[in-house]
Amino acid sequence: MRSGRRVPYLLLAPGLLWLAFFFVVPMFFMGIIALEEGSLEEGFELTWRFANFPDAISAYDTQFLRSFLYAGIATVLCLLIAYPLAYAIAFKAGRWKNALLLAVIAPFFITYLIRTLAWQTILADESPIVNVLQFIGAVPDDGRVLQTSGSVIAGLTYNFLPFMILPIYSSLEQMDQRLIEAGKDLYSSARTTFLRVTLPISAPGVIAGTLLTFIPAVGDYINASFLGGANQAMIGNVIQGEYLTIKDYPTAAALSFILMALILVVVVLYIRFAGSEALMGDEERPAA
Amino acid sequence: METEGAGRRLARLMTALTVGVAAFALAACGSDLGGGEREGEIETATADTEASGELFVSNWPFYIDSKSLPEFEQESGLTVEYKEDVNDNNSIFAKLQPRLQNGESEGRDIIVVTDWMAKKMYDLGYLQNFDKSAIPTVEENLVPNLQSPSFDPERSYSAPWQAGMTGLVVNKEQAPDVTSVNDIFDPQYKGKVTVLTELRDTVPLVMKADGVDVDNATTEEWTAAIQKLREAVDSGQIRSFTGNDYTDDLARGDASIAIGWSGDAVQLQADDPNIQFVMPDEGCIVWADNMVIPVGAPNPTAAYEFMNYVYEPENQAQIAAYNSYVTPVSGVQEIFEKEDPALAKSELIFPTEEYQKNCSSQPEPPADGVEAIEKDFESLITGG
Repeated sequence: MRSGRRVPYLLLAPGLLWLAFFFVVPMFFMGIIALEEGSLEEGFELTWRFANFPDAISAYDTQFLRSFLYAGIATVLCLLIAYPLAYAIAFKAGRWKNALLLAVIAPFFITYLIRTLAWQTILADESPIVNVLQFIGAVPDDGRVLQTSGSVIAGLTYNFLPFMILPIYSSLEQMDQRLIEAGKDLYSSARTTFLRVTLPISAPGVIAGTLLTFIPAVGDYINASFLGGANQAMIGNVIQGEYLTIKDYPTAAALSFILMALILVVVVLYIRFAGSEALMGDEERPAA
Repeated sequence: METEGAGRRLARLMTALTVGVAAFALAACGSDLGGGEREGEIETATADTEASGELFVSNWPFYIDSKSLPEFEQESGLTVEYKEDVNDNNSIFAKLQPRLQNGESEGRDIIVVTDWMAKKMYDLGYLQNFDKSAIPTVEENLVPNLQSPSFDPERSYSAPWQAGMTGLVVNKEQAPDVTSVNDIFDPQYKGKVTVLTELRDTVPLVMKADGVDVDNATTEEWTAAIQKLREAVDSGQIRSFTGNDYTDDLARGDASIAIGWSGDAVQLQADDPNIQFVMPDEGCIVWADNMVIPVGAPNPTAAYEFMNYVYEPENQAQIAAYNSYVTPVSGVQEIFEKEDPALAKSELIFPTEEYQKNCSSQPEPPADGVEAIEKDFESLITGG
């Protein structure tokens, strides 16, 4: 009995230690750095300067807003693309199911960096895609796609799409299809069956997918730095510049904290709104 | 009740773990956090009589041909690890700074950085002085006009790898008439202009275009030039800020005019002969990238051997022929005259005084304004 009780702790220990070392400790140091003052040449000193936080916000509010806007749009686009696709793979793909799933995961075989760089070529001013977009009038004749908000959002959407597809697929895949038949037996239309049966059952997948997409997308800086120009910089690019270029470590740390807090607020509100049972799953239906 | 007890115990365990780990980490890292300067005197990197073992060099991309390193390895018996991991001065500094501060170089024996960064690292105590008796070939062959730069008048801790000029790199087909820095603000090239993320390249060039004496420019003049760039970014005139990767934008046709470095254009011509370096009417910015020996370099003797090797005119000729930057070694032009007369006439490798008549050496912002100027420029790059 006694040894049996210890088992859960032993199972938790590696994860807890990992988190403690690589999350809690760095956070602690980052918190201290965020309250320091000084420069690299003179050294940084802990002066408990809480003004670093409001200063950082007022200096970079545009980029914060832009990050949440880009990530929000990309998440919605991902959802709109991913849901029908996941639905088709789960219910309609038949023997192509595995091949299609492989196709969803296939981009991961190439590194993130190279895939994003490839978009530079795909969206270059003289590329066929941009020519077509200009021809149909989606882009003005002398306009461009690369180094605009559109290209950054497109890059985010592309890069995070699998993180949306997989959880939705997995929650749909577990669904008992007889429930749909039951809906029909009860004279429900296809639309109502979808809204009242399928959608609620896939909600945990949708919520997991939106979180897996939105959270990393807000802090992403690769897409903005490769596909955007100066006016598409996201908060990740600012933190990178503060840390690597001008070596203003306190501001970089403060910005990171603010970003984390803002994401937390947005996520908590979202889960409140979407319902935490859907995320955690109820007794019969554990989350994906 | 059972689960509640377990939950509380779990919480207690987590707290204990966290506190324990934090205390451990604190003790381990001590007060090293974030501090800058290394204490004590600058040391001289001492040389043994014979070099052996491994040499680790960090340099910029496109700076060495494919044959030089194998030939050096064969001649010296050393093994060379040559990393092209310097893409801009600030990034390599930020990457190495935490280690340099503790007197370690992550195994690097030579790092190649631009003049101002060499001085900054030296002032922070991150570099070692050269043992001049170990580098006779460098002493003998360094060209006169690079022997006493203002940042290191005795060349006591730096030896130029290559010098170069910052000016305009242009696609002649798309922008045939470009002669002035002010052409980057010409609406005809809207959205087809890129400029460098290097503060000390881009901003002085813009100041020159406005007739400012860059050597004595005030903080206000630096700020005004940054403001001018900001307006051009906001209007969509300037497409993006780049490091060495502006070459990609030119090659793809996304940029017609770039603020760029002299030698790069020559290498791009292999793909597209229309790409050329244009010396602006207002002049250029002249700089050098220098080999320095960081503190904690494991094999300074090998570093000296490598410096001597690249300062042999025959070896240098091979490197300069590849990268087309200004060579810091005398005697190279004579070699080219025999072997490749066209290269001997290249004004990018051997700029004449007439060619460089309006150029300035890379200026440093006023000491009391440098921090604000760097911050302002960074906020420009990140769209603030």
